Amino acid sequence: MIHFERFKLKNGLTVLFHKDVTTPMAVVNTLYNVGARDESEDKTGFAHLFEHLMFGGSVNIPDFDAPLQMAGGESNAFTSNDITNYYDVLPAHNLETALWLESDRMLSLGFTPKSLEVQRNVVIEEFKQRYLNQPYGNVWLELRPLAYRVHPYKWATIGKEISHIEEAVMEDVQAFFKKHYTPSNAILCIAGNFELEYIEEMVNKWYGDIPAGNLNSRMLPCEPEQTEFREKIIESNVPADAFYYAFKMAERKNQEYYLADILSDALGRDKSSRLYNSLKKDQKLVSEIGAYITGSIDNGLLVISGKLNEGVSFNMLDRALWEELEIIKSKAMQEDELARLMIKIRTAKEFQDQGLLNRAMNLCIFELLGDANGINEEHEIYHAIRPHHILEAAKTILQPRNCSLLKVKATSNVE
Amino acid sequence: MLNRTNTPILKSIETIDFVKPKIYDISKSARLFFMKEVPNDTSRIDLYFDAGTMKGNLGIAAFVNGLLLSGTKEKSSMLIHNELDALGAFHESTISHENAIISIYALKENLIPILRLYKNAIENVIFDPQEVEELINDRKQKFRVNMEKVSFLAQRVFQNQLFDGSPYGRVLNAEDYDNLSIAEMKLFHKEHYMNGLTKVVVVGDMAQDEIDEIIDLTGTWATEGISEFEKVLVNRKEKTHVEKLGALQSAIRLGKILFNKSHEDFIDFQVLNTILGDYFGSRLMSNIREDKGYTYGIGSMLAELHETGYFLIATEVGKDVKDATLKEIQFEIERLKADLVPQEELDLVKNYLLGQLLKSADGPYSMIDLYMGLEPYGLDMEFYNESIRKIQRITPERIRELAQKHLNWEDFTIVSAG
Repeated sequence: MIHFERFKLKNGLTVLFHKDVTTPMAVVNTLYNVGARDESEDKTGFAHLFEHLMFGGSVNIPDFDAPLQMAGGESNAFTSNDITNYYDVLPAHNLETALWLESDRMLSLGFTPKSLEVQRNVVIEEFKQRYLNQPYGNVWLELRPLAYRVHPYKWATIGKEISHIEEAVMEDVQAFFKKHYTPSNAILCIAGNFELEYIEEMVNKWYGDIPAGNLNSRMLPCEPEQTEFREKIIESNVPADAFYYAFKMAERKNQEYYLADILSDALGRDKSSRLYNSLKKDQKLVSEIGAYITGSIDNGLLVISGKLNEGVSFNMLDRALWEELEIIKSKAMQEDELARLMIKIRTAKEFQDQGLLNRAMNLCIFELLGDANGINEEHEIYHAIRPHHILEAAKTILQPRNCSLLKVKATSNVE
Repeated sequence: MLNRTNTPILKSIETIDFVKPKIYDISKSARLFFMKEVPNDTSRIDLYFDAGTMKGNLGIAAFVNGLLLSGTKEKSSMLIHNELDALGAFHESTISHENAIISIYALKENLIPILRLYKNAIENVIFDPQEVEELINDRKQKFRVNMEKVSFLAQRVFQNQLFDGSPYGRVLNAEDYDNLSIAEMKLFHKEHYMNGLTKVVVVGDMAQDEIDEIIDLTGTWATEGISEFEKVLVNRKEKTHVEKLGALQSAIRLGKILFNKSHEDFIDFQVLNTILGDYFGSRLMSNIREDKGYTYGIGSMLAELHETGYFLIATEVGKDVKDATLKEIQFEIERLKADLVPQEELDLVKNYLLGQLLKSADGPYSMIDLYMGLEPYGLDMEFYNESIRKIQRITPERIRELAQKHLNWEDFTIVSAG
């Protein structure tokens, strides 16, 4: 059980406090309810570029990192298609420094031209390092627009193309801040060995006078139901052919989300999974295979991906894969298979909940989904799942007309 | 009106409570380290074997390591993994030059049943030819994928030149995968696993009889000998570029043989290393990322070996700015040798390092890792108390002296790929 307190400031900021008496450290986690899905299609990669700019100094403090390091702490952030999350970890006795820094950049940024110019370059190098200059690094740049036609999940957080980042101007940056970086669009979680009264006092002191800003309502285009099998082949200078089967699945707050999670585990989480045993160990078609879900807030994807063994064709793999999928769609799994999947989920959660930062981050994410206490309710949701539920989910999800297939063909294997 | 321009009053760290694990003898030279103070149901066990990549013929160690759970006469690899997963086991095997370490993470009530399964699987592994062939194919494919990465290309040449002429510097080539024999694997397994256990680490709220059982289970593998490691390594002072057609970035690896915790300059050098390249505000990051925008990241580190250690700077930069980056790295090193570090910058790094030390002593899992970082050098937790004092006392003059002593550009091995 992860305990927390919740209060709200007049400007709309939601605050969570998680007390842990065993640690000398404190975590300040700030989730902004903005991600790559909130970008316009001609200015992609912006939420992530903006995350970089948040470290370029705020209205009253020229440098974000140095004062935090002076306080013995460190900071980082990440951007997803759904959210942007910032965190500071520092010795508990210097908590106030983190609140001072975080509240000032919520109030306003420095918006210096130098920061924008440099971070544009840094992000372009990040684009190259992670997506363009890695074997198979461009897969998600290709797979997203194949699986999504309308919803902004069709582009990656890094952006559709480098030119969008090159063309970002200060006007865009300021407008983005004004629209999304308001107290009512943020969830703050403080974790550590403190008293609630102290946290209330400190949060009111540093965040209380930040103007509320405009309320921001999100209107995203809804992805229409997929009705046909989609396939795309790209050639790439890679050593082995690779495949990515992406199936549409439910949004985060739907029970089907949990079913899809277990279904993907059954198919390809571990070396005891169905696809690993059938396609790799028995039939020797693939060198590696796995299945997972994207975990996104709006309708997500269940992905089966892997690499072919030498001499194996995409067609051979395709036949064997669909045969295996037919089995999980036609017969409910045995109780012992389900038990095996559940104990792994439970063990993984115990280890995740160990970390103070993980707890603070997850409390924010569940609060965004509607209630931070969701973090304590997930276990019950998993516990209630029976084999026939997973069977139904498999039937719904694992259909050709719900699937987008990306094949990466090694240039050396092209005839 | 709230003053937002001044930093709130800071408190500094004076002392940290370091907790030592309980230590048990498994054999004459193998020991078990036990950290009991875990406030939840999680647990971990690490098994250290004298089976690092330096041992045996090239490539053999990593292969045997990859085949430990590949099946016995009674059980297929599939069945073994089924049984392990049914107990919720998360496990990984990491291999370095000097050690192979099996780590198992599980709920504490499952830890010993998992260890029993592991013991049975490892002791009775038959090195089934089909499993061997499958692993060879998998590894070959992975190797070909890695050879497409500039970071991998630079790293292997760097490693070869850094550990010039030593078993530490051996690097695998594609054809080496074809020269491995099953007989050789069986011999390696017998020498380095069945008689090669050097350390066991247990973290979790386990009862005494459970610890006793772990000692019984692992005791039969305990080594009787003491493994020897090379004392003197010398890097080749050379600059090499590996060309890769079509690359968008170049990877840079630059470094030299230095020392480990048992050297008197170690702690002070860590302060110098942090200033240069080991935190987000470091000089390398400030100059090459935050000022020039040449890279997504650049860092320096001091990596430790059993008898010595090495200093390393690593980055990936735009292909057209590779030489400009090297020039800036040299500029930052020369600056540390010529000028005194401003007191404000030094104070910041001191506070940062003390904060990091506090964090790395937070909780039983971090605490045991801290301790295991000392253990190879015969040091105890007093080392960290001494670190706090040394960090608090260090002066700009001492930093400059260390830079002059240890960071001479002519001494570096420099490799780029891209």
